[in-house]
Amino acid sequence: MAQHTLEVLVENSPGVLARVAGLFSRRAYNIERLSVGPTANPEVSQMDIVVNLEGHALEQVIAQLDKLINVISIKEIVPNQATPAVHDTQPDYQN
Amino acid sequence: MSQMTGASSLVASLEAAGVDVMFGIPGGAILPAYDPIFSSSIRHILVRHEQGAGHAATGYAQVTGRVGVCIATSGPGATNLVTPLADAAMDSVPVVAITGQVPSVAIGTDAFQEADIRGITMPFAKHNYLVTNPADIPRAIAEAFHIASTGRPGPVLVDIAKDALQAITDFQYPTSVNLKGYNPKTVPDNQAILDAAALIAQSSKPVFYVGGGVIKANASKELLELAQLLGAPVVTTLMARGAFPDSHPLHLGMPGMHGTVAAVTALQKSDLLITLGARFDDRVTGKLSTFAQNAKVIHADVDPAEIGKNRFADVAVLGDLKNTISALIPALKAALAKSQPDLSAWLRQMNSLKSTYPLGYDIPTDGSLSPQYVIERIGKISGPHAIVAAGVGQHQMWASQFVSYENPRTWLNSGGLGTMGYAVPAAMGAKVGAPDTTVWAIDGDGCFQMTNQELTTCALNNIPIKVAIINNESLGMVRQWQTLFYEGRYSNTSLESKRVPNFPMLAEAMGCVGLSCERAEDVDATIEKAMSINDQPVVVDFRVHRDAMVWPMVAAGASNDDIKIARETAPDWDSQEL
Repeated sequence: MAQHTLEVLVENSPGVLARVAGLFSRRAYNIERLSVGPTANPEVSQMDIVVNLEGHALEQVIAQLDKLINVISIKEIVPNQATPAVHDTQPDYQN
Repeated sequence: MSQMTGASSLVASLEAAGVDVMFGIPGGAILPAYDPIFSSSIRHILVRHEQGAGHAATGYAQVTGRVGVCIATSGPGATNLVTPLADAAMDSVPVVAITGQVPSVAIGTDAFQEADIRGITMPFAKHNYLVTNPADIPRAIAEAFHIASTGRPGPVLVDIAKDALQAITDFQYPTSVNLKGYNPKTVPDNQAILDAAALIAQSSKPVFYVGGGVIKANASKELLELAQLLGAPVVTTLMARGAFPDSHPLHLGMPGMHGTVAAVTALQKSDLLITLGARFDDRVTGKLSTFAQNAKVIHADVDPAEIGKNRFADVAVLGDLKNTISALIPALKAALAKSQPDLSAWLRQMNSLKSTYPLGYDIPTDGSLSPQYVIERIGKISGPHAIVAAGVGQHQMWASQFVSYENPRTWLNSGGLGTMGYAVPAAMGAKVGAPDTTVWAIDGDGCFQMTNQELTTCALNNIPIKVAIINNESLGMVRQWQTLFYEGRYSNTSLESKRVPNFPMLAEAMGCVGLSCERAEDVDATIEKAMSINDQPVVVDFRVHRDAMVWPMVAAGASNDDIKIARETAPDWDSQEL
């Protein structure tokens, strides 16, 4: 299964890491690797989350992540593709 | 902008948010807020347990469509709100909970009555806040009400440190809320509407699978028009009872584990599920891999994460359901003008199932009272505008099956979380929201013993609800499963509540009228007596047959094809053309 990287921009507010990590735990998804860092905007942090998920499960993780109020946007880095798929705050799921 | 304490800023914010009533209990950490509450225009109802405050807020919200508000102190006050907030999350109810927190310098020190309620509620709350700076209070409250009431509604908790309530701050209520990561899509894409209309026009066995979202979106009128336009059968889930009139000829009843044969079969045999604000819950689908195998799916919902969660959607329509259904009506008219499907054979089959397998029950041969009969009579005598709140278990299923719901927001229950003890406090909140409407709590003897303390609250605050205890002296649904799946080994399901407690005496002790009934011939007179008392809460102990069971039934994890109409009895499929 291919590893997918999600670049998640979040509001730099207390507890946001717990919200994201808790969501993966509650929905029974694994995080392969996680890093959190600042962005040029001090109000926004970036999380890079590597997951071993594809298809339906990956779409669910993105959709559930997107429901977190503190999550601003999610960019899915698809392996071997030049342009990443960008999920704004309302992904349009036509499967 | 004016200067005041954080506590006054909180109460002024709640007033600015349009709150007219809240349910709560004071305590140390929230105490500063209770001083301005004392002189506020907001009615505060002092409950007897914080769980009651939470369910009352839910009942109020379900009946009025407004945000329900509950308030509690830190630690145990806050943790007692966990169950009703989880309940509100599962049933998508807009609730805002305010909790006091220990002073900010004490947070993290295991201080007296400290609990990390933000952390505790994080997995299920739609959102939550911990406020330590008094200047942040108005914005947190404004955002909480916005988040709770828009998109897919849900509970939002605002935890406020005591020192933030005590400090002097500037009060200014925000005129708008702008959240970078929250912007629910309300208007559906036109292409999705056209795709949905086209799929409907091509179907020959369509069924409207209607969920609680239709009620949340106040879209019942639009649904009626859409259903009549197509002339396809309608099923209403446990959360959607009342979204479409039970008496309508297109209505087949409730699907799911205890649904009607017609409703369950309509979904199973359909070629197109027109899913409106429903979420393919396991209690509806049964074994998912065998659910409606030949059906395509249109899934209209306000929550993108529901699309494709349990069932692939051939056409997804994201948006507010009132907008979605309103847009579907003209689109479907246009599509039907090009190709009008012939649904007559499909309707004939479904109507045949509906008339062959109506909901029914056996009258006990030992002369004891039938619980279904009691519930049926409460519905008939109270009429189509009365509000019914149920607990969880057999009586809940019977209250869904045997009361005819004609109007949205007249049926309240804990559908998702299955919270025993929901009925009495939810009925209390419902009555506060609709004081001129008859409100019944149809409760079990097990459920009633979990939250009946709120009857004291009702008696003292002029909230004259009516409670029907369906007393089978058992945890009835669990007992039913023990009968069916555990060889009748009734481990710990006998409550002996025909002996202890004495429910009418308990009711009288709490300032209510207590009545009792155990003969079928007394049922109508007892209900009418209860209906005649409107200045006090009334509790009726209906002492019913112990072994009545809920039918039809699809066993947990089984396929909907294996629905039973009684023990060991399946519908006679061979006699049906399906």
